[in-house]
Amino acid sequence: MLDAGRHSKINLLAYSQVEEVSGEVGSFQLKVRKKARYVNEDLCTGCGTCAEKCPVAVEDEFNVGIGHRPAIYKYFPQGIPSTHCIDAENCRQLGQGKKCGICAKVCQADAVDYEQEDQFVDLEVGAIVLATGYDIFDPTVIPEYGYGRIDNVVTAMELERLLSASGPTAGHLDRPSELALRAEIASLEKDLNKFNRQIDKLEEKHGKETSEFIELFEAGKAGDDADFERWADLAKKATAAEEKLAPMKKREAAAHTAKKLAFIQCVGSRDFRFNRFCSSYCCMHSVKEAMIAHEHDNETTSSIFCMDLRAVGRGFEEYKLRGGKSANIKYVRGRVAEITVDESLNPIVWYESTTTRQVEHETFDLVVLATACVPSASTPKLAELMSLALDENGFFKTDPLAPLDTSRAGIFVCGCAQGPMDIPESVAQASSAAARAAEVVFTAPKAAASGGE
Amino acid sequence: MNNDVMVLGGGIAGIQASLDLAEMGIQVYLVETLPCIGGKMAQLDKTFPTNDCAI
Repeated sequence: MLDAGRHSKINLLAYSQVEEVSGEVGSFQLKVRKKARYVNEDLCTGCGTCAEKCPVAVEDEFNVGIGHRPAIYKYFPQGIPSTHCIDAENCRQLGQGKKCGICAKVCQADAVDYEQEDQFVDLEVGAIVLATGYDIFDPTVIPEYGYGRIDNVVTAMELERLLSASGPTAGHLDRPSELALRAEIASLEKDLNKFNRQIDKLEEKHGKETSEFIELFEAGKAGDDADFERWADLAKKATAAEEKLAPMKKREAAAHTAKKLAFIQCVGSRDFRFNRFCSSYCCMHSVKEAMIAHEHDNETTSSIFCMDLRAVGRGFEEYKLRGGKSANIKYVRGRVAEITVDESLNPIVWYESTTTRQVEHETFDLVVLATACVPSASTPKLAELMSLALDENGFFKTDPLAPLDTSRAGIFVCGCAQGPMDIPESVAQASSAAARAAEVVFTAPKAAASGGE
Repeated sequence: MNNDVMVLGGGIAGIQASLDLAEMGIQVYLVETLPCIGGKMAQLDKTFPTNDCAI
């Protein structure tokens, strides 16, 4: 990543998208929109003072919605280019028309520029490599799995962020229900502190304890003062908040990290309602996540519910067996029918075990959905823009004997834009696509010359 | 005839393709829609089957 940002032969156009394409192999003309960052790339040092002071909190996309980020932000800490960027839609100054300007004030490099506009770059290239990747299947369309309704049902990518040492929980497997509880406690405590501060001021002003005042006020002997109604109201609010906090704090004290995990395979893949194909990497991804969770906390046990566990690849079968032997992973052959929830917010997995031929159920701390790899949402638009054919699943169409060539000469595709695959395969395809593109730009002048041009 | 190549997408595949092309001496334009390159792999903690770090 760093190498790509530094290489003298690579011109990095981040936060940009292709808007127009014309021409043909050997000479494609493209118009690229460089979206306004509202931060001058040449001046920004990436120090992050602006992000610290920004008062806005937006759902953090990089952490798939767990936790928040400010409106002026860096997509992730090690991101390249190391420049901040304002999300104009959520910015108080740019998007909501409020007077703010804090980031510009605190920026020592004077890099914040609210006047910046989108720029257009016209480019000519000989060949194009598509590496536009994939999207994660949205499991809310499977209501029986309860994603979005049951807090402690998460996707594989969400677990990935929860397990990450640089993620929102610093690698501790806190359950989303407890994260929500803590956030609620924090917001209630903030309110309570506000009430108490105001009450303290009133107590000082009138030289009375609140309990004393309330007694008088209720008896109608407090007298007449503009403050009294407010004081009584504040006292009532503070008591209500305290009463609400007590049981929540009790629940929080009893909470523990997720130690019993269930992984549900083929969520959205190998399912005729959604995608018929196998997403290929999710079996190994679940094994890996279960192993990492066990590495982090040796008491963690995992059950992987699958039709069959596909460990096709070098070292994969051994990895699967290692997980079973040394990472407390149990492989259960059976398709999960439904996920319900008990009163402690623990998900219950209902499934038909194909080994016992019984409908069984088991309670877990956290359920992880191994979601399918689906074509990126931008794929149809890009296909239309470049006049490319898509296959029956919506990925860029290629020929089995020329797996990197799209339907248009000079445009190649690699990685998950072509179909689901794991990282080693994506890397291998990327190198192959680079070689195919190089073949075009190195040999085309000769071909053109022999063609009489 | 133009000898440059455009790579669309700055995930692991796009980065690898760009580096390979650049090492061959070809000028590359690497276009990414998000503010940073890295893609989904940057979100992963470790990778199978060796449990190596992703970044």
